[in-house]
Amino acid sequence: MTTFLQLVVVGISTGSVFGIIGIALVLVYRTTGIVNFAQGVFAVLGGVFTFELAQHMPLLPAIVAAVLLSAVLATVTAVVAVGIRGRTTHLASLVITVGIALTAEAVLLATFGEVPRSYAGISEHAWDIGGVLVQPQYVLIAAVALIAAVALTFFLRRTIVGQALVASADSPRAAELVGLNIRSIAVIAFAVAGALCALGGALLAPTVPVVYNADLALTINGFAAAVFGGFASIRLALLGGYALGIVEQLVVGYVDPQYNLTIALVVMLVLIGWRSRKELAV
Amino acid sequence: MTALLEVEELVVRYGEAVAVDTVSLHVDRGERVALIGPNGAGKSSLLNAACGVVRPSSGRVRVDGADMTGAAPGALVRRGVSQVPEGRHVFASLPVEANLQLGAYGRFFSLEIISSTLRYLRRKDEVRERLERVYTLLPKLRELRERPAGRTSGGEQQMVAIGRALMAEPRVLAIDELSLGLAPIVVQQLTEFLVRLNEEEGVAILLVDQNAVLAFSLCERSYVLETGRIAVEGSSSELRDRPEVRSAYLGGGSGPT
Repeated sequence: MTTFLQLVVVGISTGSVFGIIGIALVLVYRTTGIVNFAQGVFAVLGGVFTFELAQHMPLLPAIVAAVLLSAVLATVTAVVAVGIRGRTTHLASLVITVGIALTAEAVLLATFGEVPRSYAGISEHAWDIGGVLVQPQYVLIAAVALIAAVALTFFLRRTIVGQALVASADSPRAAELVGLNIRSIAVIAFAVAGALCALGGALLAPTVPVVYNADLALTINGFAAAVFGGFASIRLALLGGYALGIVEQLVVGYVDPQYNLTIALVVMLVLIGWRSRKELAV
Repeated sequence: MTALLEVEELVVRYGEAVAVDTVSLHVDRGERVALIGPNGAGKSSLLNAACGVVRPSSGRVRVDGADMTGAAPGALVRRGVSQVPEGRHVFASLPVEANLQLGAYGRFFSLEIISSTLRYLRRKDEVRERLERVYTLLPKLRELRERPAGRTSGGEQQMVAIGRALMAEPRVLAIDELSLGLAPIVVQQLTEFLVRLNEEEGVAILLVDQNAVLAFSLCERSYVLETGRIAVEGSSSELRDRPEVRSAYLGGGSGPT
């Protein structure tokens, strides 16, 4: 039982990061129609930048700077993927994001090397709750994911910029007709999503050391989390992240660690099959 | 005097197919103009080209004499040309009030989002006043302000789409298929509203509709578009009496009106 609870605790923490990436994917997909396969890259960048910057400054400003830097790079990604003239099709954009992800991995390998890096989180002392070890960092990640989801929901529902994002998701055509520039809105979606993932990555690195090629697994897990919410719901994407994180940790603990990505893919396939059946039935 | 909205020898092509073939039309200040014709005649293409949604292959679009050919829809909105699209296209998951506010936000929008937002926020009082004005014109929208626009009836959605366009204080409202899929009583109410809007606020109307009876009764002047060309044009009362118009669009040759 203790082992089980221990795995659940770890699962919620890693699952929160999957949830964050899932939310980011949903945000970008809903506002631009693009599935950003480079989404996980920003989580890796968040970890890498924080690691490098933390050599020169305290952790908190390092995280803030890493998040901002990642948002800038996400903006560049948006411009490349969406295209300046907006004639790029969604499929072409998707392929471009795959290319960006591969390029980013290569650049990270060349500059950062292949050694996993980590840094101290908020506290090294784990709380012992009835034999279950809870690291404060786990709690922090889960809390930040939750706050980020709530804040993002508020942003989308209550602010004019957020509403413009939702509007261009609801009807890109009408958004253009009222005078909104849907390409600048796409850039905002990419930037917010990138910043969110970078924050998740920066918080994850103390518990899971960051490697240059961790983005693919993160993107796939985030994708599975997003599919859980039908690629439409922020709340469900976060819940999907939790569920996936827990299931994967249980597999790691009871079956075999090498199957955890496979599990994400299987979960995703089952959900896609189930979802498409549901939609056909309407 | 230059026309408010003028389309000159406009051609719209989709690949090989010519949707609009050398059409000229104009809407003057405060005028109500209809564009009728059968399905696929090119009415929507013409309207979309006039509103910047579709880029014409040749010809000119002018607003107040200024060349706006190939300009983005936003640029035309800022010049006073707003479109109510076919099928309404409300922002379904957003409340009615947010739909309206976005109509104003779009008007202050330029390429870059931060300065656009600041511009909008600085004019917040103006937007609020405008919102009150639209609520006064369409009181139903005030009742529905909190409701997601997707969960209102077809007629209400048409009001949301019109209200959203009005938030940009247009001088000409281009409406694509006002009556499509709406009950006659709702169409009647919308028509009365548009006449009032036109007479009291001086907003010109360019109406595209398949329903010629509606178009003729709402608009003083009409154009009949057939296979991408203007077949007939003139005052609605005159067109209504033409035998060829009557047999094609008014359901046969029974007595006048």
